[in-house]
Amino acid sequence: MSKISILGLYDNPDSAADALDALSESGFDSNNFDVLTGTPYPEGAFGEHVPQHRLFRFPLFGAIVGLTLSVFLTSTTQIVYPLITGGKPILSIFAMLVIMYEMTMLSAVITTVIGILFESRLPNISMNVYDTRITEGLIGVSLVCTSDKKETAERALNGAGAMEIKSSGR
Amino acid sequence: MIEVPVTNNTEKFNSATNSLVSTTKEPLGGKLKLIFGIFGVLSVIGIISLILKITTLGFDAKSGWGYYAAVVSLLLGVFGTAPMVAIAPTIAKADWHRPVSRIATMFTLAGISTSILAIPLIFALPPLVVDGIRRRSIWFDANIYTPHVFFGIAVIGLFLVGLGLLWVTSIPDMAIMRDHSSGWKQRLGKSLSRGFVGTEGQWISLRARIGMMGTFYFMFLIFVHIIYSICFSLELVAGWKDAIYPMYHAATGIQSGVATVIIGLFLFRKYWKLEDHIGIDQFWALSKLMFATTIFWFYFFICAFMIFWYGKSAINEMTIAILVNGPYMPVFIGTLLLSFIVPWWIIIWNPVRYSPWMLSVVATIVLIGSLLDRIRLYVISWQVYSDEMIHKRYIPLDEIPENMIAPSIFDIGIFIGFVSLGIFAILLATRFIPVVSIWERHQSILLTRHIKFHRTEVYAVGKPD
Amino acid sequence: MQQRRQLDEKQINRELLNGNLETPKWYYPVMGVLGVGVLIGFATILYMFNRGLGVTGLARPVYWGLFITTFVFWVGISHAGIMISAILRLTQAEWRRPVTRAAELLTVFSLLTALFFPLMHAGRPWRIAYWLIPYDWARGIWPNVRSPLFWDPIAIGTYLTGSTLFLFVALIPDLAILRDRTTGIKKTIYSMLALGWRGNPRQWQLQVVAGILLSALMLPIFVSVHSIVSWDFAVTPAVEGWHSTIFAPYFVIGAVHSGVSAVVTMMCLMRWLWKWNNYIRPEHFDALARLLIIVATAWLAFTFLELIFSLYGRDAPEIALRELQIFTWPWNLIFITFLLTGYVIPVGCWLFKRCRNNIAIMFWTSILVNVGMWLERFLIIVPGLARKQVFVYTWEGYWPSPVEWIILVWSFAWVSFLMLLFARFFPLVPLFEAKESQVFTTEMKVGRATVPMVIRE
Repeated sequence: MSKISILGLYDNPDSAADALDALSESGFDSNNFDVLTGTPYPEGAFGEHVPQHRLFRFPLFGAIVGLTLSVFLTSTTQIVYPLITGGKPILSIFAMLVIMYEMTMLSAVITTVIGILFESRLPNISMNVYDTRITEGLIGVSLVCTSDKKETAERALNGAGAMEIKSSGR
Repeated sequence: MIEVPVTNNTEKFNSATNSLVSTTKEPLGGKLKLIFGIFGVLSVIGIISLILKITTLGFDAKSGWGYYAAVVSLLLGVFGTAPMVAIAPTIAKADWHRPVSRIATMFTLAGISTSILAIPLIFALPPLVVDGIRRRSIWFDANIYTPHVFFGIAVIGLFLVGLGLLWVTSIPDMAIMRDHSSGWKQRLGKSLSRGFVGTEGQWISLRARIGMMGTFYFMFLIFVHIIYSICFSLELVAGWKDAIYPMYHAATGIQSGVATVIIGLFLFRKYWKLEDHIGIDQFWALSKLMFATTIFWFYFFICAFMIFWYGKSAINEMTIAILVNGPYMPVFIGTLLLSFIVPWWIIIWNPVRYSPWMLSVVATIVLIGSLLDRIRLYVISWQVYSDEMIHKRYIPLDEIPENMIAPSIFDIGIFIGFVSLGIFAILLATRFIPVVSIWERHQSILLTRHIKFHRTEVYAVGKPD
Repeated sequence: MQQRRQLDEKQINRELLNGNLETPKWYYPVMGVLGVGVLIGFATILYMFNRGLGVTGLARPVYWGLFITTFVFWVGISHAGIMISAILRLTQAEWRRPVTRAAELLTVFSLLTALFFPLMHAGRPWRIAYWLIPYDWARGIWPNVRSPLFWDPIAIGTYLTGSTLFLFVALIPDLAILRDRTTGIKKTIYSMLALGWRGNPRQWQLQVVAGILLSALMLPIFVSVHSIVSWDFAVTPAVEGWHSTIFAPYFVIGAVHSGVSAVVTMMCLMRWLWKWNNYIRPEHFDALARLLIIVATAWLAFTFLELIFSLYGRDAPEIALRELQIFTWPWNLIFITFLLTGYVIPVGCWLFKRCRNNIAIMFWTSILVNVGMWLERFLIIVPGLARKQVFVYTWEGYWPSPVEWIILVWSFAWVSFLMLLFARFFPLVPLFEAKESQVFTTEMKVGRATVPMVIRE
């Protein structure tokens, strides 16, 4: 059976929250519907369920990679070109520290940004059904379901006071 | 915009007033007398040790004053900078500080220890002219006792401004004590509240006075740290030239001040049963401050160390030997571990920052680190000082002592005794001044709300100015 | 005093995208003038490459002059972004919201510009590859990691990459708004850049967490960058006035002072040019000026300590240097101008609420600060190298040549040009922050008074 994407548009947060409740009551899995806003709202404002993210692992991983790379870079370049400057030892830990620090941080930042995109599921190529008025203040409740459940979904969305309902097959 | 319901807070105000006023009565049952007794006896031991040290050692044997100077420096941080935890967030208009500010400000009372200890040290400090020759000093050609006089005035001034700050921030609570207690507390409340009844004009002037006293305290504190660090350690070592050192001293002092407040907050919250007034938010905010100051330790250290290590001149090598890899290297390693690596690694984890108990453990580690840090800086400064050496361009590496000196029994007595004296002074004050500021608690009740936000509940904070 | 107004999302979109969805009348003339400046600058740079560094005023013993001064200056300005964006985000200062994007942008463009200066200063910039890139160019000779000149590009590269990514992540929700308001090729480009943002709770949650996490990561980088720039000077034991332990934090706090002042200048321009009076309000200037009073005073304390300790050692060459810097013509004029413009006049003004709330006064005082801060760097670098001491007779040798002055002016035109170019295609005030501020603020009644409230999760 083909999957379709449905979007209900609401002009206030309470109706959108009601729509989420109605969808749950109609037996839809909370992983299949989502609320779309143009503004960040406090967590749980629509009674939505957001799974725990694992963003904090990314910088840790990046830091370890960056540190390893920098230790390799700083030590090998000094060993293969053993030029004594200013009476310093060939492996000058304090000079290496600076490079190690910067490369560790750089790698942590890059992996964090990768982590942010990954955990936000971006880039998101299939936009499903969408309405540009969401970035103008309307609140969208979007749902992916099989086409036989379209009517149930629309009933639930309408029951909560949807201004408009859009759908698209996929 | 979400609606905030108008609430009647009278009941909450009354309950906060009653519970906080009652903490001045018998918070620990009969045990308080025992605790008073213990700290009192230890304080007396400290004072006796001080007298014995002065009479047996005299002021000429400079190397004997190193540990003593380290204790004064530690107390300038531990007790002296603790009130900054109340002042800085007030200036930044943060809202978490309200239940913490009184405890932090009460550490100004412990400044009595620092003030008493500082005076003999002034006599031990050599004048600016030694053996007829002027030694290097930031006072240049000033009168030969200028640092002595200025430091004396500054340290006593700091104590007095601190008392002023505590008094000003407590005026509304004094008025509450006047209205809600009896006997000597009522009389004292009446005289100290200076007729405060809470008119709009009185509140405006109170806020202005708190701002002014806080700024004064901060300026005095930085001044004291700058003078003390330079005159009582850096200038005693020929060749040690380190412009960041006073700021290092102040920043690490603030680190130990934050640690002190965390421990104080933890103990008062637990034993004075203040869980309703002091929440986890306060520990969370303090943990961030502690994290920042812990990183400052390393930053200021590496800023100086890098320059000396790279410079590699004889002066630079001497400075590294004095501060890092010389006789006090084990102490330095202890400092590095306890002031930076261990607390940083523990506090980086979120669950620790939510746990008052764990945070207090970290704070204790930081305080031990601070003590070691002060030992590494001050003991050797006084150890290498001699009337001949001070005029040299720098101390030759082979003349740097090979071994550490140990603290005398009097030094240990002074350390324990004067820390106890500070704690004793604070405990004494808790019999009259509520450890959580009642008027700021009322302000919290008035300005913060848990409100319903569609399907969730949020915390809203009023920002009146 | 409450200056905030309740605005709906449509109005926010309309007002804050007024420079993106249509072209302001002043835009092309201004860009034209700046463009000419940029072209003249690039032509001068090419002329200098062709003729060699002899066309500058650099001469023995002063080999670091205006280029290095301006390099330090622009790295300093770049500290605006993270100071405003990261520190104020971590401390949950509500007033940061309209300023963050512009500050981050200033970071990126000023760093890009700063990088030009050491490249130009090298005379033959392509040769920098030899000592920067870890590749065996010349049989067994590798970059020297012990040299602070190697640390610099690594630190600045890290900061530039980090800031650019930080800027991009916070731009994604606003790109989605632009995607929804445009058509044709523009829509396609914005759609690609917005990466398919839909605005579900998870994406918003990560946007907030990302702001905090990236701030926490960028903050230590921000401190390290200017510290490392300062070590270019401070690890040199042979130059009087440079070998000081205070240099790293002194440079950092000076950078914050000049960077935040530059943000103030930019905010004034944003308010005047795009008429964003609903978003950039006097209360924001007031808060920034208060912050600047503290920063400037801390910076002055560091300046004072640096000076005291330079004299403390009683070394003759050091004292001679300070005499040159403070009392000898024309350095004495520069010194007094630096003190007046860097601290006395601006802070003197900011002490008064009326001045803090006056946009024109804030504009001119913030410019004065940066005049002072540029002079400060010039005063640190040039007299130190002039070596006014026994047996040195050439210590009046350096004064920047017209080529150097033109390149200095070019750098300002270049940064402004890039900023305006960006502002034509992307919003300078983060729209989602402006909208979030509407959701996360409310009011309460206390007696007859209305008190603004901030919502925390």
